[in-house]
Amino acid sequence: MMVARSVKRIWAVFKARNLEYLRDRASFGWNLIFPVLIVLALAVVFSGPPQGIFSITYLGTEEARPALLAFPGIETVETTDESRALDRLARQQTDMVITVTDGAVRYWVNGYSAAGALTEQLLKFSESRPLISGRTEGDGIRYIDWVIPGILGMNMMYSALWGVGYVVVRYRQAGYLKRLKATPLTKFEFLSAQVMSRVMVTLSASTIVFVGTNLLLEYKMVGSVWLLLLIALIGALSMITMGLAIASRTESKEFADGLLNALTFPMLLLSEVWFSLEGSPEWVQWIAMTLPLTHMLDAARAVMLDDAGLWEIAPHLGVLLIFCGVGMAISTRLFKW
Amino acid sequence: MAETAVLTLDHVSKHYDDVLAVNALSFEIIEGQCFGLLGPNGAGKTTTLEMIEGMTPPTSGEIRYRGGPVPANYQDRIGIQFQATALQDFLTPYDNLKLFSAFYDRPLPMQTLIDAFQLQEFLHRDTRRLSGGQRQRLLLALALVHDPEIVFLDEPTTGLDPRSRRDVWEVVRRLKAEGRTLVLTTHYMEEAEVLCDDLIILSHGSIIRHGSPKALLAEAGVDTLDELFLSLTGERLDAAEATA
Repeated sequence: MMVARSVKRIWAVFKARNLEYLRDRASFGWNLIFPVLIVLALAVVFSGPPQGIFSITYLGTEEARPALLAFPGIETVETTDESRALDRLARQQTDMVITVTDGAVRYWVNGYSAAGALTEQLLKFSESRPLISGRTEGDGIRYIDWVIPGILGMNMMYSALWGVGYVVVRYRQAGYLKRLKATPLTKFEFLSAQVMSRVMVTLSASTIVFVGTNLLLEYKMVGSVWLLLLIALIGALSMITMGLAIASRTESKEFADGLLNALTFPMLLLSEVWFSLEGSPEWVQWIAMTLPLTHMLDAARAVMLDDAGLWEIAPHLGVLLIFCGVGMAISTRLFKW
Repeated sequence: MAETAVLTLDHVSKHYDDVLAVNALSFEIIEGQCFGLLGPNGAGKTTTLEMIEGMTPPTSGEIRYRGGPVPANYQDRIGIQFQATALQDFLTPYDNLKLFSAFYDRPLPMQTLIDAFQLQEFLHRDTRRLSGGQRQRLLLALALVHDPEIVFLDEPTTGLDPRSRRDVWEVVRRLKAEGRTLVLTTHYMEEAEVLCDDLIILSHGSIIRHGSPKALLAEAGVDTLDELFLSLTGERLDAAEATA
């Protein structure tokens, strides 16, 4: 009986919040139109011919650096993660991977890539040390294929954090939460309804954008759609609960705005929404791994571009679930009407 | 018929850090009566009301419901009309009635509330587009959606034009006639005289007068509560409100 009453109240608040969102045509439209506009703009910008620069990923020391890397038109990405570098080579995000061991230069190129064949010739021409060649194969991905998960993830992040964090603070500032406190509605029921409503809104909007832009641009999606949906669900939950934690006691919309910006800005910059962090200092990559959006995007790209299975993305999902747990614990503990 | 105290305050105080907002208030609210809380801003009216409503706990003292502790389902027995309540944007009075009805086990039929508070003409209008009087009628309907025995009205006519104010008075009279207990705050002396059976006048968190409007006027030898307040504090109550 108690559970039935609770479900009835959660359902009523869930429906009311959805109505509010759907009738707010400006916000609703913007949530759908904004990511589509970005995707289309990027598709136009990156639809031209190749830029004429070879990208080489280097995993060696400064002293052993091959002369080729000093050639004009060569863009060098330095990293220590060989397996990730080879993954990028397979996707043709880099044209060659080079490492130097025991006085020999070991390199890999993608057998499907013309740019790889050209850089191989340049390396042979410029290098006097013994060469050991390696091959990998894989179709190239366009920037748009790589950036689509970033744009969808970014849109989900904004929708989840502001759609809950900012709205709850607005309710509190306007005295609406105080009105609800005077009813039998519990904090748990109110928070559950907010989470459910925002999950539904975020997933629906993202699905519409995903399907719509895919019809227009036919970007790469080789993995399981259901797995992608699972990542989106857990990712959205982790952001929503973080938004609730921020809104749990904040009374000023301006302060909430500041907190939400402080949370989203590092993710926008470091979670590989727009560009890869490969080659950036290790500490930057370490910070990126503490952000939920990084895990959501890594998992989504692994599924969309490399057909990764559940087991391969499980560590990312695990981290996102920890964010969910911590966010929900903080918000239920600290929430004030 | 013997008068039954539905709510009793026994030396109830409220501190906010070092500030004493309410100082050892003791009084009873009688079943079926309209009880008034009067006083200028900062007198402790809202704090007292929020403690009786169960919205904020007292620092010391005790509040009793029908002689015993306040029951767990107290929120089911009371209805509150806050002075400044925002509702969710983009929802209509109909949506709000449905939402608030869902919070309770035995809500009144929607049509009863729509008829009682004359909501029909603006039932499907965005609540942000309601006039002050229409909004107040909706807030009253929401406070009564579960047919509560005690109704708290926090300055229900503030900001309303004279006609809307009289409409609200009619509703309050009707609620009294139905046998409900009402707790009302107002800074309109005329309103308190017309509606309240019993009232307290608060100043700096303490009761400075307690009684029925008639008894208070007779005791002070004045004709209106306005004059009484002036004689007690040296200022007019509505002027104090206006400048606060």
